[in-house]
Amino acid sequence: MIIAIPLLRNALAIATLPLLLTACETEKTADPTQAPATPAQVEGTIHVCSSCHGLEGKSISPTFPRLAGQQEAYIEVQLKAFRDKTRADPHAHTYMWGMAAHLSDPMIAGIAAYYSAQSPVAGAPGDPVEMAAGQKIFVEGLPTRDVPACNACHGEHAEGMETIPRLAGQHREYLAAQLVNFASNARANEVMHANSTPLTPAEIRQISAYLAAQ
Amino acid sequence: MGDRANGLGTTLSAIGLVIGVFAVAAGVLLLAPRRAQALPSYARQTGQQCAACHNGFPELTPYGRLFKLNGYTFGGGTSDLPPIAVMNFDSFNHTQANQPGGAAQHFGPNNNLAADQTSLFYGGAITDHLGAFAQVTYDGVGRSFAWDNTDIRYARTVNLAGAETVLGVSLNNNPTVQDVWNTTPAWSFPFVSSALAPTPAAATMIEGGFAQQVAGLTTYAYWNRLIYLEVGGYRTLAPGVQRAFGVFSSGNNGIDGVAPYWRAAIQHDWDRNSLEAGVFGMTANVQPQRLAGFGTDHLTDVGFDTQYQYLADRHSVSLQASAIFENQSLSASGNPAVGFASNTHDTLRSLHVKATYFYDQTYGVTLGAFRLEGSPDATLYPDSPSGRPNSTGVISELDYIPFNHGGPAFWPWLNVKLGVQYTFYPQFDGATGSAASNNNTLYAFAWFAF
Repeated sequence: MIIAIPLLRNALAIATLPLLLTACETEKTADPTQAPATPAQVEGTIHVCSSCHGLEGKSISPTFPRLAGQQEAYIEVQLKAFRDKTRADPHAHTYMWGMAAHLSDPMIAGIAAYYSAQSPVAGAPGDPVEMAAGQKIFVEGLPTRDVPACNACHGEHAEGMETIPRLAGQHREYLAAQLVNFASNARANEVMHANSTPLTPAEIRQISAYLAAQ
Repeated sequence: MGDRANGLGTTLSAIGLVIGVFAVAAGVLLLAPRRAQALPSYARQTGQQCAACHNGFPELTPYGRLFKLNGYTFGGGTSDLPPIAVMNFDSFNHTQANQPGGAAQHFGPNNNLAADQTSLFYGGAITDHLGAFAQVTYDGVGRSFAWDNTDIRYARTVNLAGAETVLGVSLNNNPTVQDVWNTTPAWSFPFVSSALAPTPAAATMIEGGFAQQVAGLTTYAYWNRLIYLEVGGYRTLAPGVQRAFGVFSSGNNGIDGVAPYWRAAIQHDWDRNSLEAGVFGMTANVQPQRLAGFGTDHLTDVGFDTQYQYLADRHSVSLQASAIFENQSLSASGNPAVGFASNTHDTLRSLHVKATYFYDQTYGVTLGAFRLEGSPDATLYPDSPSGRPNSTGVISELDYIPFNHGGPAFWPWLNVKLGVQYTFYPQFDGATGSAASNNNTLYAFAWFAF
């Protein structure tokens, strides 16, 4: 027991050392959001991203969206929304707020360029009846409920454009979760809130099944 | 003279290894703030919720495993605090029969409240590729300080045969503490248990037999997120070092030379599922109670394990199973002049299974069972009617983790696990009936991490 006290003292000394030294750190970058990112730093960050989003952005778990082939501008906008916490759906809280907190604009640009350049994952066919119903909504919308055709913005092949995301080949469960998030405003987006609110759960399943198969 | 010289050399080597561990730790602590000017993620937590890495804690998710394998270095978060954490857990313990003389010194024979453990952690990235999980613990039952599980690792990612490969080195103090699947002893269920409850007398070497009494260096490769290979070795810390770290006991065994450790596993992930199967083991020449002049025992543990996880937002299921086979060549313990064992050869088998369901990463129920069996040895197991160490336990546990998705606003990194655990013993140290069930234990605990 006699040696226990020095041990504790040493442990506390080690524990408080970073506090003291961190307190001494006074030099700050003028604007951390503009900090440059070297290719090696971008590669290192993408390695972290890949822990959830999969190698080359081809994620395995539907908790995490596939980023391979996603629109570059869309990725940039979303990462900045995670960084400033304006995208606030439950998974944003759990995963992305922390991951994006320190990404600079150049780093975000590097990440977006990398993922947009990867080849998209081929779609996985689902139930033919559901897919057909989903395709009808995707192409025609639901005019009686003021839901426009999805392809008007997301493209004929759901490939997306600029800040409008690619949906083709995305995880079905992820797509469905986003429509629910838009409808509930858990993920704030005025246009998508208006478009998803009228959808029934069955219609959400159908649209998601169709898009996941593309 | 030769033996003494060899012993001295071993002692010095062990001290050197420990000094090396702490030199690395101290060095990186000193160096890190300079790096912090270019890498603000140092001294900040990941900014993610506990549920990102843990399926209930401490069980790891696939992401949590990668976080650990990559050296605890993933960044994020906006906290300016250093990666220091505190853990405390407190409990109520009830055994079916009173424990005459008290469950432990300072405690009554039954229905004890205890501040089981308070730990201080250094946990997180130190540099881009170096990180640590280091724990110092105050044992509220034994009323003593000691170093606890420690794992300092360096990891890099390379491309090998066209696939991502994480290469790493772990410096640690407990065989399997560096492992990332919750099937191996250091991180397997039950994750908490009472020091005030009786537990079976026998355990295989790798099930904590040398925990914190050794220093080990292992190197690993995780290829294509599919195949994991690890090899390394462990040496016992010298008695003086063990004393300094609060883990010395005159009953501690010593490893003669280096004990090789190995691990191989394959993990396949699909959709929300993750399946692992693997082998692990360790072999050691052991000096029982460090007695010199009687040679060594030779123990070999070979373990097989498998884990399945289904992780969804609302529902998650995880299954783990392991089987450890220990071969004991007891030429020292079985020497009549030593008299620690009746035989010069014994065997021991340790089997564990458990299943967990979590709802919303908040409400959990776990059912587990273990079986320990071995060859009869009247000296090793004097309390066993048959001379065998055989024990069977069934453990059920209910958990409530209110802050797994983020703590309260005033301290978002607070996590709490409230649990009730009941252990039922159909057999205990070879005995059955009331002799076994008298050891049944109800354990209610509150586990705080902040």
